[in-house]
Amino acid sequence: MDTLQTLSGLWEDTGFHNASWGNLVMILVGITLVILAIRYSYKPLLLIPLGMGIMLGNIPFLHEAAYHTGIYQEGSVLNYLFFGVLKGIYPALIFLGLGAMTDLSPLISNPKLMLLGAAAQVGIFASFIGAMVFGFPMAESAAIAIIGGADGNTAIFLTSQLANGLRASGNGMAIQNLIGPIAIAAYIYMSLVPVIQPPIMKLLTTKKERLIRMKPPRTVSKFEKILFPLLGLLLTTFVAPASLPLLGMFFFGNILKESGLTKQLAATASTIIIDVVLILIGLTVGASTQADVFLKWESILIFVLGAIAFMVATAGGVIFAKVMNIFLKNENRINPLIGAAGVAAVPDSAKIAHEMGMKEDPTNHLITHAMAPNIAGLIGSAVTAGLLLGFLL
Amino acid sequence: MKTLVITFDLSLVDQYTLVIAIAGYSIVLLTLAIMAYFFTRLHILQDFLAKRRLMVRESDDKDKNPKVVMTGEENAAIAAALYLFFSELHDEEKYVMTIRKVSKTYSPWSSKIYGILHTMKNR
Repeated sequence: MDTLQTLSGLWEDTGFHNASWGNLVMILVGITLVILAIRYSYKPLLLIPLGMGIMLGNIPFLHEAAYHTGIYQEGSVLNYLFFGVLKGIYPALIFLGLGAMTDLSPLISNPKLMLLGAAAQVGIFASFIGAMVFGFPMAESAAIAIIGGADGNTAIFLTSQLANGLRASGNGMAIQNLIGPIAIAAYIYMSLVPVIQPPIMKLLTTKKERLIRMKPPRTVSKFEKILFPLLGLLLTTFVAPASLPLLGMFFFGNILKESGLTKQLAATASTIIIDVVLILIGLTVGASTQADVFLKWESILIFVLGAIAFMVATAGGVIFAKVMNIFLKNENRINPLIGAAGVAAVPDSAKIAHEMGMKEDPTNHLITHAMAPNIAGLIGSAVTAGLLLGFLL
Repeated sequence: MKTLVITFDLSLVDQYTLVIAIAGYSIVLLTLAIMAYFFTRLHILQDFLAKRRLMVRESDDKDKNPKVVMTGEENAAIAAALYLFFSELHDEEKYVMTIRKVSKTYSPWSSKIYGILHTMKNR
């Protein structure tokens, strides 16, 4: 009898006994992402940790067991690793690495392109209103809208503060934990930049506009390169103090690079630290998509609203570039394709602008110009996240 | 899974939502516009600093290094010395090759005989 009980207990403890359809569906999603990454080399740095994370998070287990396995179970290994997501530590460290690896020269040499990065933030605010219309509470709407910034780290940072399942809205309504769906949507749209952006860019520009050649960027002095992060840090964090963990780290990383005296620190931040954090953030965000938390109709709506936000942001950047051209002299005109790089998917959206420009004229290299709104978009979306936190917390 | 209830209610967008959206977007635009304006005008500050630096250097040079006047003979002597110096330079190598013998200590761990790439042969 004892043997039977032991064996029965063992069976009840296994994943086969505890599996639900939701778990199996999510495991299939995880496997698909891993196959996409390995077989087609599609964003492997992002999709392998994410896919494996989704599988880890959806391995069925006995919730009443004495040991703690699940990412949402206090004290489990995954729960400790998830702490970095919940408290916004990983996004901040990724911004440090981004700052240490980013050359801000394109932005400094043509500062008016910063406006394109700001203009593209229209996607965030438009989908914020859209999410409200669909009945999401304000905090959840803001978290969903930030997908339009097309930066997974900013999205995770804002969602971890606003929609982490631990807060209640002003009218007492519980705020859901949306970290999983929002992070997955943001990362997926980041990897779908080559699919989503080109049709919108083509639709909103004429062939003549796509052929515009921009003036080559001027050389930037070391003085300017050092002044930019200092001034950028002061201005952006004075305007939106809540964005300090992101922008503070970004400009700190950049000053490590540009000072020329802390090369080894900049190298560590831009390689070792960012790699370690990328592993942890991908794995834990993937694992946070436990079927019971992720497989909801709201997730589908989040994906739809995120896509709209992303498309509006792309269109906003392109249209703003066209408007700027009305006021600019002929020799200073902007190729509107680079307006699409105003979303913060660094450097994918800049590459897309470059490739589209090359399709029209193989000698027209737009990559350097497109990096300027791309970086401005990164800064702009972090400022937007800080402002939304300031408004809603 | 919950049943899907999609609400589409424009009245949910209250005044506060609109204020957040409009003010938020304007602030982002304004912040980056200020940065853009500052860096567009930065060359004025740079020119000013460069001019100032140049003026300071010129006045220092005047004080420290009074203008040197050299005669033709002195110039000719310097030129001759330089000519002699450069004509003595040569770019030929000695053509002697030095080979340093490196002794390798044998270890079964590095032995090629025991490598895993050797396949078994059927006799």
